[in-house]
Amino acid sequence: MSEKKIAYHPGCPSATTAMEQDMSTRAVFEKLGIELEELEDWNCCGALEAEDPKLVIALNARNLALAERKGQDIVTPCSICYYNLARADQALREDEKLRAELKEIDSSLEYNGTVKAKHVLDVLVNDIGLAELSGKLVKKVNLKVAPYYGCYLGRPPETAFDDPDDPVLMDQLIELIGAENVPFSYMKTKCCGGPLMMTRADIAFEMARKILESAKKAGADCIVLACPLCGMMLDAKQPDIEAAFKVKIEMPVIYITQLLGLALGIEPKKLGLNKNIIDTKKILEKVM
Amino acid sequence: MGIAVIGGGVAGITAALDLADSGYKVYLIEKNAKLGGKVAELAECETGIAPRIVKIENHPNIELMLSSEVEGLSGSAGDFKLKVSGKEIDVESVVLAPGYDVFDSIAKSYAIGHPNVVTALEFEGMLRACTPSETGQLVRPSDGKPVKRIGFIKCVGSRGKENEICSTACCGFTAKEAWEVKERFPGTEVYIFYMDIRVFGRDEELVAKLKDKYGVKYIRSRVPEVIPENGTLTVKFENKPLQGLRGRGQSPRLENGTVERLDLDMVVLAVGLLPSKTLGKLAEIMGVKTDTYGYLETSLTNPLETNVPGILACGTATAPMKVRESVAQASGAALKAALFSERTELIPGQEERKFIEVADKPLKIGVFICGCEGEVAGAVDLPAVVEHVKHLTGVASVNGETTTMKEALEAIESGIVDQGLTRIVVAGYSPRLYEDLFRDACAKAGLNPYLLDMVNLREQVAWVHGKEEATNAAISQITMAVERARYLEPVPIERYPVIPKALVVGGGVAGMNAALEIAQAGYEVYLVEKEAELGGGLRENTELPSGESASDVLKEFVEKISSNEKIRVYTGATVEDVRGRAGSFRARMKGEDGGEEIDFGAAILATGAREFVPEGWYGYGQEKKVVTQSEFEKMLAGGHMDATTIVMIQDGIPGQRSKYSGIQVVSNALKAKALKPDLNVFVLYQEIKTYGKWEVLYKEAREKGVIFLRYDEGRPPAFQEGIVSVYDVIFTDEIQIKPDVVVLSPAMLPAEENEQLSTMFMIPLKNGFFLEEQERPKLVLTPVDTVNEGVFICGSAVYPAMVDEAIAMSSAAASRACVLLAKNFLETPGIVSVVDDAICSGCGVCVDLCPVEAIELVEEPVSAVTFGVMTVLSGKKTVARVIEGCIGCGSCASYCPSGAISLQNFKDQQVFAQLDYA
Amino acid sequence: MPIKTWELDPNFKYEIMNEPGGEHLTACYQCSTCTLGCPVTEIIPSYNPRKIIQMSLLGMRKEVLSNADLWICALCQTCTARCPQDVMICELMGAIRRIAEEEEAAGNIKIESARPLFEKAFLHTLQKYGRLYDMGLALEYYPNREGSKIKGMKAMMKDYKDFGMRMFKKGKMGPLGGGGVFKGMLPEKIKEREVLKKIFEQLGEKEK
Repeated sequence: MSEKKIAYHPGCPSATTAMEQDMSTRAVFEKLGIELEELEDWNCCGALEAEDPKLVIALNARNLALAERKGQDIVTPCSICYYNLARADQALREDEKLRAELKEIDSSLEYNGTVKAKHVLDVLVNDIGLAELSGKLVKKVNLKVAPYYGCYLGRPPETAFDDPDDPVLMDQLIELIGAENVPFSYMKTKCCGGPLMMTRADIAFEMARKILESAKKAGADCIVLACPLCGMMLDAKQPDIEAAFKVKIEMPVIYITQLLGLALGIEPKKLGLNKNIIDTKKILEKVM
Repeated sequence: MGIAVIGGGVAGITAALDLADSGYKVYLIEKNAKLGGKVAELAECETGIAPRIVKIENHPNIELMLSSEVEGLSGSAGDFKLKVSGKEIDVESVVLAPGYDVFDSIAKSYAIGHPNVVTALEFEGMLRACTPSETGQLVRPSDGKPVKRIGFIKCVGSRGKENEICSTACCGFTAKEAWEVKERFPGTEVYIFYMDIRVFGRDEELVAKLKDKYGVKYIRSRVPEVIPENGTLTVKFENKPLQGLRGRGQSPRLENGTVERLDLDMVVLAVGLLPSKTLGKLAEIMGVKTDTYGYLETSLTNPLETNVPGILACGTATAPMKVRESVAQASGAALKAALFSERTELIPGQEERKFIEVADKPLKIGVFICGCEGEVAGAVDLPAVVEHVKHLTGVASVNGETTTMKEALEAIESGIVDQGLTRIVVAGYSPRLYEDLFRDACAKAGLNPYLLDMVNLREQVAWVHGKEEATNAAISQITMAVERARYLEPVPIERYPVIPKALVVGGGVAGMNAALEIAQAGYEVYLVEKEAELGGGLRENTELPSGESASDVLKEFVEKISSNEKIRVYTGATVEDVRGRAGSFRARMKGEDGGEEIDFGAAILATGAREFVPEGWYGYGQEKKVVTQSEFEKMLAGGHMDATTIVMIQDGIPGQRSKYSGIQVVSNALKAKALKPDLNVFVLYQEIKTYGKWEVLYKEAREKGVIFLRYDEGRPPAFQEGIVSVYDVIFTDEIQIKPDVVVLSPAMLPAEENEQLSTMFMIPLKNGFFLEEQERPKLVLTPVDTVNEGVFICGSAVYPAMVDEAIAMSSAAASRACVLLAKNFLETPGIVSVVDDAICSGCGVCVDLCPVEAIELVEEPVSAVTFGVMTVLSGKKTVARVIEGCIGCGSCASYCPSGAISLQNFKDQQVFAQLDYA
Repeated sequence: MPIKTWELDPNFKYEIMNEPGGEHLTACYQCSTCTLGCPVTEIIPSYNPRKIIQMSLLGMRKEVLSNADLWICALCQTCTARCPQDVMICELMGAIRRIAEEEEAAGNIKIESARPLFEKAFLHTLQKYGRLYDMGLALEYYPNREGSKIKGMKAMMKDYKDFGMRMFKKGKMGPLGGGGVFKGMLPEKIKEREVLKKIFEQLGEKEK
């Protein structure tokens, strides 16, 4: 990868619930010698709660325009931010009228489609590449991993950068660092229930439970994922799910950047591995 | 010069043979190293196509160019220069038959890569492999356990985003695979997941049989994923609400058929068809246009012609289609290509043949046992068989060395010529498929072709027995054949001239097209139409779905017919009393011209179909607002629409609908919407059969706001007191509509005269439609040929066909007829009954028994009859006489009370000798 | 009760198609791909996207808009990704939901779901601060959902007591993780909030 600087859109959970994802993302890129420049004054992407597509496009036009003015591609560790940034980028590239309309609302929304919105996972595997990464690995992580992709990496097709039914990018990283993927293919892309958490927690919990239990049944030491909403459901809400269904799961859930960071020899604390709700000590024991 | 056929699949093979058999030089160009294409990969079909491949490989008029690529084309029709793998060939015309490729980017959600998930084509391979000599069971590839439940998922890679159109063939081949599973492994539960069952004609009967007799479950759901769990494959489908358990109207509105799960041992994906990956490049080289979907562009009324004169197209390169249709198109394209070319080669089998006199020669039986490319050699201990057979009386030589058909044929020829063999026994291939080839080989070497007997070691021994048993069975069967061969006698073969004229019955589009093409090929044609004018069913239509005016299309045909001096048209006429056999028929005409007799060498039956008048159905005939689609089409042609709500009932009337029917529904709905965009159009249906590229019309109709409501099987809609009510399977409730017009799609009925023609031409009917000669249960390779050689069928006389299909089929029938008419002579059939006048008592039992009326009683002058010592001089005696038309069934011979009748080549002594051993 | 088509609204399908995301509604051929792959249907068997589509096509406007099932879509995009006719079901549901919200605002229907309240609360914090502010969101949402401040606070405590403690212990909120004593408890504000105000004024939902 030739670019050494990328505009970074950390996403709202980076400050609180997904601190460890933010920390590990920054640490990994630093280790790889790529500078993540946090986009100054970035705004919320609208998540899945802004249902009007035009509103989403406008909100993200601002973020895209910020990156464009720096002349940098925009990267985010959050799958939902990625989806919103990418679909806004696409819509604006295709629709001149819309571009003009937004510019009319405020000149800071002027975006000309010269940069690209990317997800951290995409940058790691497709831009930096497995070959370059493998040269920088210093530790072997002897773990059995359930790679969980969730919804927005392989779907919808317009913004997807991995297979909708059998995505592989995390699998490849996991194999690269010497860990083992447990058979998990059917659950990889099932929804964690996150978007229903606040309104239909009953459904959301059931959805998350299925994923957690499948990972456990498949013999995983941990689930690895790439989205803060999935992280919140599967990690932060795991004790609530256990209580609701009266089950014991105790499945550590970490971000792919945390896992990769371990293999790159980054100190666990710097990767925020003490921030995950389900204890990650057992994972650290297997780093060699 | 010659004709190039590009593509060595079933279509290319068919086209090449039709051309070569009628004396044209053919270059058959195939990019792969062997012939057969996709059809050769299909278990059942491989067996069907193999004899044709052998015929091609041995054909003097065909230059086979395997592993060859077309690189360039210059010149024009009548004088093309084609560059093929660095070589230049001169041809007058080209037939494009490059075939299709299978959709290969199947969604990963189907558990692709799991050993128990296979495509339909891979499943054919499994069916082929699980013969009794192998596992004998249908087993799961993953662990060898028997398959108890199998599911077929249709429309994978078709009717969707990646491939917009319907692949047409999948519904039929899925049904046939399901049938084979149920026939061979009856304990297996079979589930078929579908969206619309788009089968027609005979396949429709098969599907009904699968549902009713074989217990195959058809479930309407486009299954999107296969979940591999706990050693099985789970699919989810939307079940139909349980009727009867819940009273109608009691169920809450928003509840419906629940999502059910089903565990399967195997999943077969009926994967769609795509244009061959190399088609684009080929089209570019040839300068022919392709359509939106990447297929070669042809039209509804010229389905075999590309935009370049002299370059014809056929088969799955023009649209996804079934084998039957591909083959028909290929025959048709062959004749069209021939019209650009000059006949330069000899027609095989036309030379006068002299046979060795064997009566005075010592008996020398040659036994040829073929390994059949391992299929026999792998199952039977061949050296042991050879060792045993060698010692049989009369056996002069045994050859167990050959493995291919070609080697076997060559060995036989040299055996006759070099070793002076006088009887031949061939053990290996099926006589049903290959007897003609082996008889020809004998004849070529100078031996009367009836001095041959065959043993089917492949299907009847290798496939059905274990190894030890198979070896014993092979020895027994060959010994029986040797016993019979000992008594085989030469059967006299006579030749008679072919009358180079054709009769076409039916003056619709199919009949007119057939007549025109035969006339263009240079033969005289009698075209007989029972109505006062030509035109047939197309006269009922105003516009074809292509936008062409039906009357313009008809007018063009009629003008061409009337200006062609080789065609003699009889309108208001019918054919009576047909006699004779292929190459030499005679019929009497009935009509304005009186009882004129006509002679012809080939006949084509193109009687079409007629629409059922749905008197009484949904108030048709009583209520003015109830009309048929054809009547509605005429209303639409009026150009204005007063109605606000229209209901179309697609499958409400029982019977077989035409292939056009589904297209007509969506196209009329669209026309109505175009006249009045806010019109409410409801289509109540069971299946929307917009096959192939017509799928896009269906989509357009939905997009324009036509509402499609699928009602439950067995609960057809009702129309009472101005309200159409339909039970909807999704709402589990009744939907009521107040229509201004109700449009019905009546079934199609066969032409009334089919019954009579069937008897006259001895062609069986099925549900009133003519039945083609069927070679294999799973595929039709001879869609226009019949059991009566020289009589061909086409168009809606076979099943209610679409215009382009009827035209392609009629071109095919014309092509098949021309192959026959091109010959100067034909040989009399050898296996017929003969009467020994001396023994015949003239009782006449045989006359009543004969199924084809080929025996009559005649008065024969008797000169002298000697009874012991007394000689009676007598004048006349009544005896049976076998006349033209004997089909060699043997009924008379087996029944004759005085033993006076025998069947040539199956004389008592021959059969008894065979049975004595057994 | 039979469904009488003459009492339905045949223009409902066009109303949906005019809403962004609803454009492909009529392409549907009722194949059940959406329903069969839906993770919510697995849990709530009555949830049937294809039926909602068929009802919309038929013009069952009132039944569709007041259907509580509209609000349990998890937005997972499985149906959108797989739909062979590219109906974009996920987006279509959003389009129908927006019409329903308008209808509710006009007093014509009552939506039996808290989701519109949650979305509104979310957008309010976004509009105000430019970033997500969990605490602010919850303080608006719970009272609205429960119908009173006190009930709202109770419900919020029930949901967040344990969760909040977990966050606190791990230092994701509060003083333990650095970033100030009130980390995560006060809103993070972007500077150019004026721009957001303009965006919402022009494109925000109509009732605001």
